[in-house]
Amino acid sequence: MRSVDVARTALGNTFRSKLRTALTVVAIVIGSFTLTLTSGLGAGVNKYVDTVVAGFGGSSQMFVMSTGASDAAPTDGPAEYDPEAAASSGGMFGPGSGGGVLTDSDIESIEEIDNVSAVDPMVFVSPDYLETPDGAQYAMELDVPANALGLELEAGEAPGEDGMELSIPAEWLTIFDTEDAEQVLGETVQIGISNVTGEQTAVEAEIVGVSEEALSGIGATPMPSRELNQELNDLSMEGYEGQAQNAYTMAVVDVDDLEANEQGIKDALTEQDLLGLTVEDQIGAVQGVIDAVSWVLSGFGLIALLAASFGIVNTLLMSVQERTREIGLMKAMGMSSGKVFGLFSMEAVVIGILGSIIGVVLGLGAGILGNAWLTGDGGPLGAVAGLTLFAVDPLAIAGIIALIVFIAFLAGTLPAARAAKKDPIEALRYE
Amino acid sequence: MSTPVLETENLVKVYGKGATRFDALKGLTFEIHEGESVAIVGKSGSGKSTLMHLLALLDEPTSGVVALGGEPVTALKPKKVSQLRNESFGFVFQQFFLNPNQTVLENITLPLKIAGMGKSERNRRGMEVLEQLDMADKAKNKATNLSGGQKQRACIARALVNRPAVLFADEPTGNLDTVTSEIVEDILFGLHRDHGITLVVVTHDEDLAAKCQRRLMMQDGEIVAEEHGATGVHA
Repeated sequence: MRSVDVARTALGNTFRSKLRTALTVVAIVIGSFTLTLTSGLGAGVNKYVDTVVAGFGGSSQMFVMSTGASDAAPTDGPAEYDPEAAASSGGMFGPGSGGGVLTDSDIESIEEIDNVSAVDPMVFVSPDYLETPDGAQYAMELDVPANALGLELEAGEAPGEDGMELSIPAEWLTIFDTEDAEQVLGETVQIGISNVTGEQTAVEAEIVGVSEEALSGIGATPMPSRELNQELNDLSMEGYEGQAQNAYTMAVVDVDDLEANEQGIKDALTEQDLLGLTVEDQIGAVQGVIDAVSWVLSGFGLIALLAASFGIVNTLLMSVQERTREIGLMKAMGMSSGKVFGLFSMEAVVIGILGSIIGVVLGLGAGILGNAWLTGDGGPLGAVAGLTLFAVDPLAIAGIIALIVFIAFLAGTLPAARAAKKDPIEALRYE
Repeated sequence: MSTPVLETENLVKVYGKGATRFDALKGLTFEIHEGESVAIVGKSGSGKSTLMHLLALLDEPTSGVVALGGEPVTALKPKKVSQLRNESFGFVFQQFFLNPNQTVLENITLPLKIAGMGKSERNRRGMEVLEQLDMADKAKNKATNLSGGQKQRACIARALVNRPAVLFADEPTGNLDTVTSEIVEDILFGLHRDHGITLVVVTHDEDLAAKCQRRLMMQDGEIVAEEHGATGVHA
């Protein structure tokens, strides 16, 4: 028997008992639907996270923090006062009181590490207000310029290195009484900041961009250019005479060939009680969680498939029983056991192909429509810029179909072997 | 005389062991020559079906030899035996064994499909045989919609489609009324007479057996008598 005839006959036989085949296929469809949806969900969210990571642009960057503060934790009793240590953990400039800060000497030693091309210390400034041209003042927090690469812009451009520039979040458009992001570009605002003695000064800055809030939180607050940030910092430090003058919460380090040198630099940093994290280190944890969740969900899909495979076994066993005489006849007419096996396992494969394709199509449809509804304009998650919950990964789809067809084939081997073993005489005598 | 199409030597078939041992065939040796029509006659339990199964290579003897065209086949691999059956034999069964969901043409071309012949050639050969049996107009009908006689004619068509060396007929008229039986018998013996097909008929029907050139009378696993000369063939 030719392979094409085996396939054609198998296909024909599958539709002989339509209801039974349909029910078996439904079970497979449920499994493949679930798998398509969960893998698409994982791919979609990971794709979004990837774009966020790409937004940081810093594939060659590493974020360096001090680990000094956490080292001090397990001591017996209160630690003795040390002015140097106190300076390096100077509470007033860190984002949290417990986090250590980087000093100028830390920055210098980072610069000396091999393969480090540039070190950019980051300072957080806390301005008091933002004043619009008509005199209204708004409380504000500023993002750090190093995050500028992660901005999702609705209009204009990200604030750059030089110039007194900043971007504002789209939600802030209301203070200019407009909904058109293009209109606020070029507007000048005053940013007021207090120095250590409580004296307020204001600097002028130009709005160059309007940002959307990304999942990472970047873009939710105004972001200054580096020059503006430095200017604000200088203003805030005026009159300060303590030792922690130059303390940085974090430094952005540019690395030559990050992939090759990542570990070496991390080791060198660890020696100096510093901690280096790449963007991947920070986002990788998130992706790990997403992967874990989508694998757990896929697990349910696999369980559904497992149940479905017993459906195939059952269906085909019944089919073999019913067609005992037909099998006997085919064998009497010279069909080899191998071909009989092939015919019945092919029927299982046909059921698998049918079920997987229908399930994948339904899953893709549900995923794409669901994604459009959830993240589209006015959807529950529509406010999150650039969010995708579902992505089509052709390789994963092909993998799912291949997996299901393989499972179907495995399920078909038992009935097929039973059919192949039938003795033609016994089979023909069977009533 | 030419080499026999089928020959057996000391053919023994035993079922079971010990107390349940049953000797179905007790050492049969005979020959069937090309163009012969042979009836294997006997009551049920005489071993006639077992003998046909062994001759048709559907079963293996406990001991002894079956040779096809002078070549012993007992030692051949199952796959080769399957192929020989496909190429050399045609089967007509009492219960027809037609696939009810398929058309007559699909049913009768099954042996060619198994042989691996292409679809168009299969259908051409199938139509040829159907025309020979005056069944061409039923080619596209589903097998369920045929009368008993038409079903048996379809079976004969299926048995002939691979141009077999030997046609085995197991109680070919067992399920048919007298009139239809006669028509089917006429077809079988017409094929034998006009096309020189070797016919092996297994039956307990004396009338059918009488139309064969040679009758092997079986009883308790042995050939108890052999008769020659067709007594009932229409002259």
